Amino acid sequence: MEPIKRWAAGDELPAIVKQPVTHTQLVRYAGASGDFNPIHTVVSVAQQAGLGDVIAHGMLIMGFAGQAICTWFPRKDLRRFKVRFAAMTRPGEQIVVSGKVVERITVGGEPRLLCNVAASNQDGETKLKGEFEVAWRERAE
Amino acid sequence: MQKDITKWIGRQFGPYTFVVERGKIREFALAIGDDNPIYTDREQAVSAGFPDIPVPPTFATVIDMWGGPDFFQLVEQLQLNLLKVLHGEQEYEYLADIHPGDEITARTEVVDAQVKQGASGGMNLLTLETRYQNQRGETVLIGRSKIVERF
Repeated sequence: MEPIKRWAAGDELPAIVKQPVTHTQLVRYAGASGDFNPIHTVVSVAQQAGLGDVIAHGMLIMGFAGQAICTWFPRKDLRRFKVRFAAMTRPGEQIVVSGKVVERITVGGEPRLLCNVAASNQDGETKLKGEFEVAWRERAE
Repeated sequence: MQKDITKWIGRQFGPYTFVVERGKIREFALAIGDDNPIYTDREQAVSAGFPDIPVPPTFATVIDMWGGPDFFQLVEQLQLNLLKVLHGEQEYEYLADIHPGDEITARTEVVDAQVKQGASGGMNLLTLETRYQNQRGETVLIGRSKIVERF
């Protein structure tokens, strides 16, 4: 909790690097989330849909971003989280989640930090971009 | 194909109910590869200021897919072409915590519908807002999904 007080506008949040996405992970995420769209798990269906191979659930990549946010700030302080999906992710790709503090804001009387978050693959292709707000209490030194 | 999607504004789905279980939270965190111990270890959650383990930030997808109309049913009921549909955006507003044992009731409504023309073709954009209430009637979470249908 302590490091929070050092954040300021423009600060980069330390990127987290995920393990490469695997077919097994997509099966596992399908079961956990209940999203059984076969374009995420069945290669032949993905091929019929013209995708070549299965694609990751967008919500899995948002989940990676959520994981990163909760390494940067306490889960308890997360107030809002929004992403726009930009590109499909396939097995074998390695996702890196990065973030940046944008500014201090106040919402409903609560001081917050507004931050950006983005997920890209190992080649820098953006998979999603978004923003989030966390409660931010200035602490006495 | 151009069609009138504005007729869906106000269309509601649910309510549907989902009971949050400890094992499901663990399964979901493991599927993401999220090793934050607060999702699996109650003591760690308590140290982080919670009365019990919380849910990961994107857990509402579990409530939607297991508790309510799944993506296929939504697409069918909104008469969208499954092969042309994408999840464009997702937003969550966190109002209160969700813990094991909570019984979450969700109600979804189509709150916006727009048609956009771009260089590579047209898009139907539907925004669905889902409000999640716990067993005490508290709204704990609001979700907004933007569904894109290319044509």
